[in-house]
Amino acid sequence: MLRCNRSRALLQAKRNSAFWFRCLILSLATAVIAAAQFPGIGPPPGPPPPPRAAAPVDLTGYWVSLVTEDWRQRMTTAPKGDMESIPLNAEGRKAALAWDPAKDEASGEQCRAYGAGGIVRLPGRIHITWQDDNTLKAEFDAGTQMRILRFGAPAGPGGDWQGVSVAGWDIPGTIMTRGGFTLGMPPGPERGGALKVVTTKMKAGYLRKNGIPYSQDAVITEYYDRFDIPGGDSLLLVTTEVVDPKYLSAPFWTSTHFKRQNDSAGWNPTPCSAK
Amino acid sequence: MKANLLNITWILVAFSATLWAPVNALGQGAPPSGPGGPARPASPIDLSGYWSPAVNEDGLERGAGSELGDYAGFAINEAGRLWALSYDPSRLTLKHHQCDGYVAPYQMRAIGNFRIWEDRDPHTMQLVAIHIWAQTTEGFRTIWMDGRPHPPAYAPHTYQGFSTGRYVGDALVVNTTHLKQGWLRRNGLPESDQATMVEFFVRHGDHLVDTTVVTDPVFLTEPEVRSNDFFRQPTDPGAWLYACDDGEEIIGRPPDAVPNYLFGAQPFAKEYSKKYKIPMLSGIAGAASIYPEFAARLQTATDAEAIALLRPAPGPSPESRAEDPEPHDGEIHVLPVSGNVYMLAGDGGNIVVETGDEGPFVVDTGSGKLSDKVIETIHKLSDKPIQFIVNTSYLPDRAGGNVQLRAAGQDPSLVGSFFSLQFRDAGVGATIIAQQNTETHMVNAKLPAQGWPTDTFLEDRRRKYHNGNAIEIFHEPHAITDGDSIVHFRQSDVIVAGDIFNTIQFPFIDIKDGGSVQGEINALNDILNRTVFRHEGQGGTLIVPGHGYLSDEHEVVEYRDMLAIIRDRVRAMIKDGASLDQVKAARVTADYDTRYGANTGPWTTDMFVEAVYDSLKQPAK
Repeated sequence: MLRCNRSRALLQAKRNSAFWFRCLILSLATAVIAAAQFPGIGPPPGPPPPPRAAAPVDLTGYWVSLVTEDWRQRMTTAPKGDMESIPLNAEGRKAALAWDPAKDEASGEQCRAYGAGGIVRLPGRIHITWQDDNTLKAEFDAGTQMRILRFGAPAGPGGDWQGVSVAGWDIPGTIMTRGGFTLGMPPGPERGGALKVVTTKMKAGYLRKNGIPYSQDAVITEYYDRFDIPGGDSLLLVTTEVVDPKYLSAPFWTSTHFKRQNDSAGWNPTPCSAK
Repeated sequence: MKANLLNITWILVAFSATLWAPVNALGQGAPPSGPGGPARPASPIDLSGYWSPAVNEDGLERGAGSELGDYAGFAINEAGRLWALSYDPSRLTLKHHQCDGYVAPYQMRAIGNFRIWEDRDPHTMQLVAIHIWAQTTEGFRTIWMDGRPHPPAYAPHTYQGFSTGRYVGDALVVNTTHLKQGWLRRNGLPESDQATMVEFFVRHGDHLVDTTVVTDPVFLTEPEVRSNDFFRQPTDPGAWLYACDDGEEIIGRPPDAVPNYLFGAQPFAKEYSKKYKIPMLSGIAGAASIYPEFAARLQTATDAEAIALLRPAPGPSPESRAEDPEPHDGEIHVLPVSGNVYMLAGDGGNIVVETGDEGPFVVDTGSGKLSDKVIETIHKLSDKPIQFIVNTSYLPDRAGGNVQLRAAGQDPSLVGSFFSLQFRDAGVGATIIAQQNTETHMVNAKLPAQGWPTDTFLEDRRRKYHNGNAIEIFHEPHAITDGDSIVHFRQSDVIVAGDIFNTIQFPFIDIKDGGSVQGEINALNDILNRTVFRHEGQGGTLIVPGHGYLSDEHEVVEYRDMLAIIRDRVRAMIKDGASLDQVKAARVTADYDTRYGANTGPWTTDMFVEAVYDSLKQPAK
């Protein structure tokens, strides 16, 4: 009986020491994980680099549009009522059928097709530069328009053709975390990324020159990707989603491509035209 | 014991976590590398799932189909423009076109759902391939991610081509080669079998964009860039089948009729511009139409300048811009074809070898310049001496190695037979089989007697059962010469076409030795009468051309179409009293010159046109 009790006590002591040993190992592991997951616990981090320095892709330069899609609707002004491929709702169709380019010209609204919802689809050239470390500037020779793509919080009242654009870098492949633990492997070192731009608060305009409408309530989300193709050329792909509760029954998606130019050749600022 | 095991488990778990943590959280540092190769980072984007196209662009083109004459926004050259203008949609009623698949660039543009999934090695989790299944035409693409090289130029082409991929930044970059001839647009705008494609797949949330860059030296003057949008479906949309069988759509049509429009006679050329009230030049201007300046150009465009583009421009014909698929490195290259049939490339003309428990059965012997290496290669495929050789014609690229290959073989079926009592050399050397006219041509050409056929036939069919294959040899009268044959290995389902079909030049129609354009068309149709495609117009019966890459019926159909269309043009001009010089000046091959044309060498475009003209001027054979 005594031996039995001594044995139990010994076993209990062993169990206790095993428990504390496990706790020690787990604590060490947790500390290492925490240090890695939350850099703030370790050495103090420096400030994040400004967007210009953090750019995963260089979008600057002159880009010329390659009109290989929706050619007739983009290179010419399609007739009234040509709404091919656009998910207009009843109100949108009604507005499209009410298109009157002469009236737009007369009322000084000839830039309606040159707003943030339509400018990328118009044939022309884009000149992208850094205005400052936090702001990209996209100039369009079609209609002589300019868009300011600002990183950070929205700025400005909007209310013009180009509205207010908030930019950010869209980095793919981030492994999701739950409870501080990351159970996945990261993508390769060459991660790349795109420019994401969300634009709101613009004046109502046209998705196409023939009066296909978007409203001032539309939200335009764009992604700017750059690809280098064999032969030395580079392409700019602008993927656009227009969500408009007033005129569209579904999101309107387009992807528009441009070829990089070495210089400003062909840059030809023109005024807006409603026709 | 149990407690110790628990302790060990805890320690392992804890230390595993510490090892992973810095990599996961900081997103840097080398992932663990195994002995089997480089580390495997996770894919930067996952394309797996069900995707539907967002048809917010070019809805007409991708739905009902564009009007004839609407080639705006495509950098087509003269050949591409004229090919498209010659196209009659009724061509799709031909039995061999009814089930044509979509080539990959058009497949990604077409309407229909897509399913994408990854194929990973179960032991290493390395990404081996990404597969794409397209609802429309059941297009099935495989993008190899394991670093394998692309096949050689003499390997078969498919509608989906051969694709390899790699991740660059946030994009999956895919290179595709070995495409079949198909469409850039469904209104007849062609994409050649020389086209290659680079794609960039990027995903932003549930929005996938595939940017395609198609380079086609035959029909385009610069790469064609387009981008296709897809949205992710939460569930399987179903409806994946698009099984196609051909049938009779127009009864009683002659087998050599290929619907087409003569140059300048496309009745719908103006329809597009009239319908939309835009200049006729809009649809046919080529690369200029892609750039913004073209909008101003349209202001001054006239009908006259557009009408001039409906016919070939006067002047010299361009030459082929196609890649030479034949190796010229002084080596013999073996391409397994089907079953126990192999194609040997490298000696100036394709050679076919069938092996088995009997001696090799060889079709054609090449130019003879590399016969030693051909024999050495055949010995690697079989430890038995060459038993039979078939010549599909007497021409030097078919029978140039007869003497050497015959000497390297023997025909044991003759040794000890009745023949050995009559002929002392019975069974010495391989038996050479050919149509009688082939032997006659060899004798007349004073070729070495040791290379003459020893077993000839006179009528339309010779048959043999050898190495497990039923082998049929069919005489094709008045094709390239009057002694041509094709060879069909029935079990392996391989047809050896000899010079009747090639993928590198216009057919060498040897008028003086009995060839004719109509006989050549008939011979191509005879091949097509014996083919069965496996799926959506491709695969199944394989065709070994005299020169060029291993093919199936699709390449033969396109070649037949080309010949019938050029014949129609020359015949129409002869009917109108045109001279040979006038026919040549009309550039009747203009839409095929960048694919097959030559201005120098043994077989020029002029020689071909002259052969077509002469054979049509002669009484029908």
